[in-house]
Amino acid sequence: MRLLRMSKQAIRAMAENKTRTFLMMLGVIIGVATLTVITSAVLGARAEVMGKVEKWGIDQISVMAGAGRKPGVPQTIPTTLRIEDAQAMLSEIENIKDVSPQINRRDFPVKYAGNSTYGVLIAANPNWSSVWNTRPETGRFLSEEDTGRLARVAVIGKTVQKDLFEDEDPVGKQILVGNNPFEVIGVLEARGTSPTGLDLDTRVVIPLSTGQKRVFNQDYLFMIKTVLHDSSTMGHTVDDVRALLRERHNLQPGVEDDFTIVTPTQVMAIASKLSTIFSVFLILITGISLTVGGIVIANIMFIAVNERREEIGIRRAVGARKVDILVQFLMEAVSVATTGGFIGIIVGLIGLKALAGFIKLPTALMWESIVLALFSAIIVGLLAGIQPAKKAASLNPIEALR
Amino acid sequence: MIEVSHISKTFQKDTVEVQVLRDISLTIQEGEFVSIMAPSGMGKSTLLNILGCLDKSTEGTYVLDGVPVHDMDDDELSRIRNEKIGFVFQSFHLLPRMTAWENVTLPLVYSDTNSNMKARAVQVLESMGLADRVDHLPRELSGGQQQRVAIARALINNPRIILADEPTGNLDSSSGEEVVRIFRQLHAGGVTLVVVTHDMDVALQADRIIQMKDGRIASDVARARQLEEVAT
Ligand SMILES: Nc1ncnc2c1ncn2[C@@H]1O[C@H](COP(=O)(O)OP(=O)(O)OP(=O)(O)O)[C@@H](O)[C@H]1O
Ligand SMILES: [Mg+2]
Repeated sequence: MRLLRMSKQAIRAMAENKTRTFLMMLGVIIGVATLTVITSAVLGARAEVMGKVEKWGIDQISVMAGAGRKPGVPQTIPTTLRIEDAQAMLSEIENIKDVSPQINRRDFPVKYAGNSTYGVLIAANPNWSSVWNTRPETGRFLSEEDTGRLARVAVIGKTVQKDLFEDEDPVGKQILVGNNPFEVIGVLEARGTSPTGLDLDTRVVIPLSTGQKRVFNQDYLFMIKTVLHDSSTMGHTVDDVRALLRERHNLQPGVEDDFTIVTPTQVMAIASKLSTIFSVFLILITGISLTVGGIVIANIMFIAVNERREEIGIRRAVGARKVDILVQFLMEAVSVATTGGFIGIIVGLIGLKALAGFIKLPTALMWESIVLALFSAIIVGLLAGIQPAKKAASLNPIEALR
Repeated sequence: MIEVSHISKTFQKDTVEVQVLRDISLTIQEGEFVSIMAPSGMGKSTLLNILGCLDKSTEGTYVLDGVPVHDMDDDELSRIRNEKIGFVFQSFHLLPRMTAWENVTLPLVYSDTNSNMKARAVQVLESMGLADRVDHLPRELSGGQQQRVAIARALINNPRIILADEPTGNLDSSSGEEVVRIFRQLHAGGVTLVVVTHDMDVALQADRIIQMKDGRIASDVARARQLEEVAT
């Protein structure tokens, strides 16, 4: 009861001097707002990366032609990775369930009627669809027959469809891939962005044989994506693949690999690095504003204690104990900080909405972030309030009343 | 009710020690109305603060209502102030942002009561003739009204003792008379009253008048004697 009555008075004190209260809250508002943005963004990003990696396949590894390759980073590649390597991997390494040898080329021009766009051109076999877990939404995917007769047929992603055809049904239409006419036979289901930030719906998939002979004019590969039987022994399989390819490529000991093996863990690491840079910056802002906010609260509380000496004396005279005064001022600091925290959460959520409009920031409103924000506000209030509150409690009532 | 024996009070000001009270012994019976007079700076307020458990004497003993309070700790003294003592000050000491009734409930905030605080405050304010000033802020009240709010605050917890430090010092004569009239009523109701005053007219309302000088009790006489002295 006593505490309830005292907390009512603390809230009153806060309402009595609104400008000052707002000043006290400002740092906490900024700090908590950025904290809300960070935690929501980071947690949201993590959830999205996890989702993507799952889609990408946690039971899959990729062999990229060339040393030191990173997914999503273009570079000139050697001519050593071949379709026979893919076949050897499938037949000689037990844990490999399926392989998709392919040639990829980014920013490839694709045209239809007056429209043109750029896509990721992928020459692959019919099993690409199952290996990449991406099925045609309308029409059909590539067939063995297409491969056999070097057919000029293409399956396109959603973004390409939108850019070239708008509302028109693309199936059966002729498009230009580079300078080669291709018939659209299907549209892939939407895939969104890859863990490394590539729009997967800009993909245009054609038969590997057609790509080698008629478009790229090359017989070497860009990459081999594999599906494993058992992802728990992925480490062994990676070693097996490396040994097999080094032997097939006649690499002497000491010579660097001429390929790169990418596992889902590496993909995750690259994706989370992006959000880490962003969050380090925001954590800095949070830390600084919460510290500054705390210092401001402490200083204004010290001023308030001086101004309210008479009040403290009166309260002591009518029976307030030292702890009652201590608790009163602490509650005032904490309620100011907590209210600032609530406002900060609202500002943060508005900020998240606004940010989501600019950059494609995955935003998830997370309970954790709100709890964390409020918790830090309360801690700031307690830390900032303790010294002024102690000073108030130790005032001599006689001198406070003179 | 109040028994102080051989108390003295020394203030430490920087390196200088100022002895304000010297060897004061005083007994006040339950229900007595006592006034304390002395020139300025003679230690009246200091004595009253000690009687009110706001301050502690440097030496001597104090037994209040049969309980020795001179060696109580701060929390115990706070409780005694809350339950047994009501203070009235020269400058009212109301909280400026609180209404009359909220000011009056202040002692209840620190007490164990769970009763309807506002109802009680309004009741006491009515008995002070302030029924129509319940929701006013102190600055919207005259000095006399403010002092009556302060008296209501002193009374809300039904204390046995009221200590007033120059309660009429900031008031015009009619407001002062009103305050004195209220004190007489309280006295009639059995409350023990100790009033510090410069005003002989106020002092003469008491049963007993104590004069102080140089930190000692110079005279301690019943009203009848004092009246004689004033007359001569
Ligand atoms: N906290 C303190 N520290 C130092 N000196 C003090 C303190 N309180 C009071 N004094 C001194 O003690 C003396 C008595 O003070 P007190 O307030 O008791 O006098 P008073 O009789 O109430 O005077 P007045 O009529 O002016 O109110 C004064 O000289 C004062 O300066
Ligand atoms: Mg005085």
